[in-house]
Amino acid sequence: MSASRRLDALRAAGVEYVAGVPCSYLKNFFAGCRELPPSSFLPAVREDHAVAACVGAWLGGRRALAAMQNSGLGYCLEVLTSLHLMYQTPLPMLVSDRGDPRDFEEHRILGQHARQLLDLLGVPWREARPGSEDDEARWLVETSERERKPVVLLVGKEADA
Amino acid sequence: MNRAEAVALALSQLPDEDIVVAADGAISREAYRAQDRPRTFYMLGSMGQVASIALGLAMTRMERVVALDGDGNLLMGFGGLAMVGGLKPPNLYHLVLDNGCYATTGGQPALSQKVDLAAAAAAVGYAWARRCFSGDHARESVAAWLAASGPAFLDLAVDAADPNPAPRVPMAPEQMADRVRASLSKE
Repeated sequence: MSASRRLDALRAAGVEYVAGVPCSYLKNFFAGCRELPPSSFLPAVREDHAVAACVGAWLGGRRALAAMQNSGLGYCLEVLTSLHLMYQTPLPMLVSDRGDPRDFEEHRILGQHARQLLDLLGVPWREARPGSEDDEARWLVETSERERKPVVLLVGKEADA
Repeated sequence: MNRAEAVALALSQLPDEDIVVAADGAISREAYRAQDRPRTFYMLGSMGQVASIALGLAMTRMERVVALDGDGNLLMGFGGLAMVGGLKPPNLYHLVLDNGCYATTGGQPALSQKVDLAAAAAAVGYAWARRCFSGDHARESVAAWLAASGPAFLDLAVDAADPNPAPRVPMAPEQMADRVRASLSKE
């Protein structure tokens, strides 16, 4: 058992490598990641580098997951399209769901458009619900491997577990 | 020394088990023409991500991972350099084929002419980092780089001129990725 219920569920679903940039909505998840062996967690400096490292880990034979704040999706547009979508490699992703009207201004614009952006790219997404970590982890891993593409679980503040 | 010769020189020094990440554009095409290997990942886009992809491989594999990078490419994703320096994977070997310009788009000058890339690699924590700006010493520099403790970084100057450009790699992207992964899952 780690500090994160969600990380435990993802590891049980087969995730073996995590690369990401923290978000306060993913505080528990990243607390769990810090306890992983050094070869299983990359604290990336920007979200696109995390996604690129996941391609490397996948080539190396591991199930790799990228985790980030939704603001990082902008940095990831190029790597999602010209790495994972083009090479058809699976990528489960945890993305925080920031930007509701009570959230800070800097989160609102991308937060309002994140779902449309994912739809445009043909990236399946789902909203996380508290207590559904096991089902969501299985869905994320299975869908990304079946469709061989990025798949996003959007995690709101109340779903940080 | 031109870029194609430098790519061929580096590849000729690597045993079959080594894993190679070849930068998008001319470097991938030259790597394919010089010596196609099942364990070479040919990047097509995602400029700036050579070090990050190599890092994901180096963290998850025991074999040596060789990143064939370009100077403009490295500068675009400079944070990747810091991740390698910070995590220090001992099996990551980073070679920059430095022509000082964006050759693929018409030879526009790159800031690598004014930035010491090897000094930056040393500063972020690579165990070994050197630059070689003399074609006469390229062979011994490549040998010293591959014999050094990793992560090791060599900034190797190559000619900006590209007299005989290599054709595109005749493989579908998913085939390129699947072949590397299959080759690494055999053991």
